[in-house]
Amino acid sequence: MASSRPKVSSALITPAIGFLCLATLVPIAAVVALSFGDFNIAFPEKTRFIGLYNYARFLSDGRFINAALVTFILVVVPVVLQLLCGLALAIALKEKLVGTRWMRAAFLLPSVVPPAVGGIVWKLFLIPGVGGLSYLASLFGHNFEADLLGSKTSALISVIIVSIWFGVPIVALLLLSSLDSIPDEIYEAANLDGASWAQAQWHISIPLVLPAMGAVAVFQALEVLGIFPVIFVLTGGGPAGATEPLNFYAFLNAFTYLDLDYSAAILVAFTTTIVGVCFWSISQISATRVGR
Amino acid sequence: MRRDLGRRIYGYLVSAAFALFLFSPILWTLSTSLKQPTEMFQWPPVIVREPSAQHYTAIIADKDFSSALINSIVVSCSTIILTMALSIPAAFGISHLQKTAMRRLLTLVLALRAAPAMIYIIPYFLFFRQVHLVDTKIALIIVNTMFAVPLAIWYLSAFFDQVPREIEEAAMIDGASTLQTMTLISIPIAKSGIIATAILIFIGSWNEFLFALTLTRDDAKTAAVAILNFIPFEGTDWGKAAAACVLMLVPIVVFVPFVKKYVAGPTTTGSVKG
Repeated sequence: MASSRPKVSSALITPAIGFLCLATLVPIAAVVALSFGDFNIAFPEKTRFIGLYNYARFLSDGRFINAALVTFILVVVPVVLQLLCGLALAIALKEKLVGTRWMRAAFLLPSVVPPAVGGIVWKLFLIPGVGGLSYLASLFGHNFEADLLGSKTSALISVIIVSIWFGVPIVALLLLSSLDSIPDEIYEAANLDGASWAQAQWHISIPLVLPAMGAVAVFQALEVLGIFPVIFVLTGGGPAGATEPLNFYAFLNAFTYLDLDYSAAILVAFTTTIVGVCFWSISQISATRVGR
Repeated sequence: MRRDLGRRIYGYLVSAAFALFLFSPILWTLSTSLKQPTEMFQWPPVIVREPSAQHYTAIIADKDFSSALINSIVVSCSTIILTMALSIPAAFGISHLQKTAMRRLLTLVLALRAAPAMIYIIPYFLFFRQVHLVDTKIALIIVNTMFAVPLAIWYLSAFFDQVPREIEEAAMIDGASTLQTMTLISIPIAKSGIIATAILIFIGSWNEFLFALTLTRDDAKTAAVAILNFIPFEGTDWGKAAAACVLMLVPIVVFVPFVKKYVAGPTTTGSVKG
């Protein structure tokens, strides 16, 4: 029986792994190939090899350079703020105060909202003068009618805030379970030694969740540009490309300008960079852990 | 234990701030969906005064949107079935491999899923165009399954790990084949985990936007994309868009409490269990 087991296992495993390899590796190989070609969707038979020409186009394409910069901002800033806000929220929720228990159950909601719905929800919230934000401002006696999606800086900030809105619950959930696993005795001991609650947080909670934060940061960096649908609905990449990251620009190239080979080159460069940086970070993180 | 004032001030202040930030946009959408058109553009803005269901009846009566909702349900449920058919045997098999082989396979599965979804739109579009499956539910089901299988294998293999090996071995000794052991013993024991995984697959497929946008035109359009039709061009009448958003959120709000532990993703659950 023991000898027959591996065979049976591979019969069970092969279909799924085979499907997965076929459905991921073949398309990726196709995109890479496409990025080296001159391809016109109307005349696919005229496709020819043009080497790195599509990649060379990056250098003279101001919109590409702008999109690369926006990508960098829309990855780094939201991830950092998600970590800080997530930590702040996780520490608050760990305390299980009377009246915040419902939060422990409900705070995850934004992260599972369909992204397109999230885009509409925020668009509705930010309508100048009559949206929810204006309503909240009017509660505090302010007359707020600015069009936040109308100017470059405020549109970018709005997208970052929506990105934080989507990501904070997940980060808080991860850090919360890491906080919940710290034994109560440690806090009690600190308390006996006269440490205040704030000191206990600073000297116990934060150092103990810090190792988890590196992995969470990498994980979020891979996820954070999944807000494509939000950008699509909320700003359409504008105004003037202020909220247009590379994945959005690649999408436009493929499906609006039908420049599929150039789009493929953008996607290959974008994906290799982001996956490469994330894998490198993971290897750095696990190296420091082993070294300890 | 000494009560600390700082603890309470911090806890309430931060919880309140996040409650406002996380929920007010959604609550505003809910209130907009119930507003009369006249209330929608009052200054100062108001929370709904006289709730009206008119926007909900309007979007249900809207043929395009109701058929898109049905498409979403069909695509999501088919994705669950196809993903499970592939992932349950694979996860069962992986869970019975030796530790190193198992870890290597699970890492491979996850690495295959690391690339951002955007990289796949061009090849899938060209492929489905070639085989005349653009604007069909089948295309969406295949793509959604591709994204769901890695997650499903991760979760399910963890659930199969929890099935006591003695019970499986007892069944084997009694003459059950591997397949019988899996279907008659292990699957029933891992049932609650399988249901949780099915819910996660449903949510992923229900929320999927990118491929529903690029691979469908009219017939196979899902609700996540059809909802865009309700965005008004002229900045008036947001009622239907808001009502459609609320409808889209219903299954999410119903299901998420059951899978709260797992929504953060498979990579992290292992380290998080503790």
